[in-house]
Amino acid sequence: MEATYIRRKNDGRINIRSGNKVDQVVRWTLILLTILTIVAFIFFNYAGLDLGSAITETANNLKVMFLEPALSHFNWGEATYQVGVTLGLAFLATIIGAIIAFFLSLMAATNLSNVWVSRIVRVFVAIIRAVPTVLWVLIFAIAAGLGSEAAILGMLFHSIAYLVKAFSEAFEEVDKGIFEALQATGANWWHIVKSGVLPSTFTYLLSWVFLRFEINFGVAVAMGAAAGAGGIGFDLFMASSFYFDLREVGFITYAILIIAFILEGFSTRLKSRYFPATSD
Amino acid sequence: MSLLKVEGLGKSYTSDIKILKNINFEIKAGEFVSIIGPSGAGKSTMLRCMNRMVEFNEGKIIFNNNDVGSLNKKELRKLRTSIGMVFQHYNLVPRLTVIENVLHGRFGYKTTMQGILGRYTEEEKERAFYLLEKLGIHEHAYKRCDQLSGGQQQRVGICRALIQEPKLVLCDEPIASLDPSSSKIIMDHLKSISTEMGITCLVNLHQVEVAQNYSDRIIGLNKGEIVFSGTSSELSEEQINKIYGTETKDLIMA
Repeated sequence: MEATYIRRKNDGRINIRSGNKVDQVVRWTLILLTILTIVAFIFFNYAGLDLGSAITETANNLKVMFLEPALSHFNWGEATYQVGVTLGLAFLATIIGAIIAFFLSLMAATNLSNVWVSRIVRVFVAIIRAVPTVLWVLIFAIAAGLGSEAAILGMLFHSIAYLVKAFSEAFEEVDKGIFEALQATGANWWHIVKSGVLPSTFTYLLSWVFLRFEINFGVAVAMGAAAGAGGIGFDLFMASSFYFDLREVGFITYAILIIAFILEGFSTRLKSRYFPATSD
Repeated sequence: MSLLKVEGLGKSYTSDIKILKNINFEIKAGEFVSIIGPSGAGKSTMLRCMNRMVEFNEGKIIFNNNDVGSLNKKELRKLRTSIGMVFQHYNLVPRLTVIENVLHGRFGYKTTMQGILGRYTEEEKERAFYLLEKLGIHEHAYKRCDQLSGGQQQRVGICRALIQEPKLVLCDEPIASLDPSSSKIIMDHLKSISTEMGITCLVNLHQVEVAQNYSDRIIGLNKGEIVFSGTSSELSEEQINKIYGTETKDLIMA
């Protein structure tokens, strides 16, 4: 007699998937998206479109943008300064956010806080996270006016929400035994945080902060354009929508790309130096 | 004069299941007492009631003339400074150095600020090195704890307990994760703590023979009740059967 716990397909072959709902949902989502894509292409308005010239023009634009980058409305010094402004926006939002998030996440971690405080902080933070950064910036612009203040406040708000979640999850990973041992010595809550929780999670916190800094740099570029926060993002906005200067757009894109690469390289090095899996 | 006196101790997490039932015993200063019993008998819970890492529901614990059950938060912190604790999994902070981990034992004496800034007096540091030397791990003082072997880590754990200047050390299966030779080193150290330093030791053990070799007295626990209490020579085969609820021949004797 065959064991009943072996699941077989209709043709008698043994099934190795558990056959849960997730698989089905994923499959149906993919099918639906494919159908929607095809339908959308059928209903596009193709009037006045010459596919041949569209493609060559686009290629030409891209060529001008990326192969002949040049500055016309400002010089190298100005460009560097504006990149610095954007970096500054991201930096301020990240650092202030990280400090506030640290204390909030102590309240949000279930093993460090009481159930109700932790729940309240979590719900609060989830609501903040649900609203996109740009919206927060525009909300703060009502009080602070469009500009760097509103941009930093908005980015700060979202950074806090993001980091509280990341930090508190890192705190919850701390071995329960460490808490027990420190409590048994008569240590109080702050002692445990400083000597048990922080040393065990510091590298995680650092790498989260760095990740957020990279995100904030990208957001700061967008904020320069959308909220008048200044920096390289504003120049990008001017070059593309006011001067239609493709060469300058190309230059600015390269500048942003280089900064992004530097940040990425820097954070990778930091991680390999301080991250637990790679260090001893 | 007893250091620790337990009267009618009872503990339950839910209303229908009692983890501990009517536990009574007394321990004199400087005694080495082992608690043996099968897994789930309530050994760990009982040990943690002594410094209220676990809150108990019934009965009374008198430690050093203090009623443990009635202490407020501040008094409880003070009580815990005089009770050291050693764990099966050592429970050190792995990313910190040995000496830092040992000095954690002084937190009970520190204000919040002193603790956060990591202010330790020179005497405390001297004492930490003295203890490390006594347990033979002074050469590892500046190594991170996760670089040490299990036996070495447990010795750091013992140092952390001793630097509290405790009157009582609670050991929760201190050798359960160690190999036989490390186990012997740890048990010898614990024994010398009670004989040389006069510190009382209350030790949970899984190994009956180890308990017999080292203890002044053995307490046998089964299903939350004390079923045996006496010296190691009084622990007969029959008594062991009663504690573990099986025949001795079915037990691995170390």
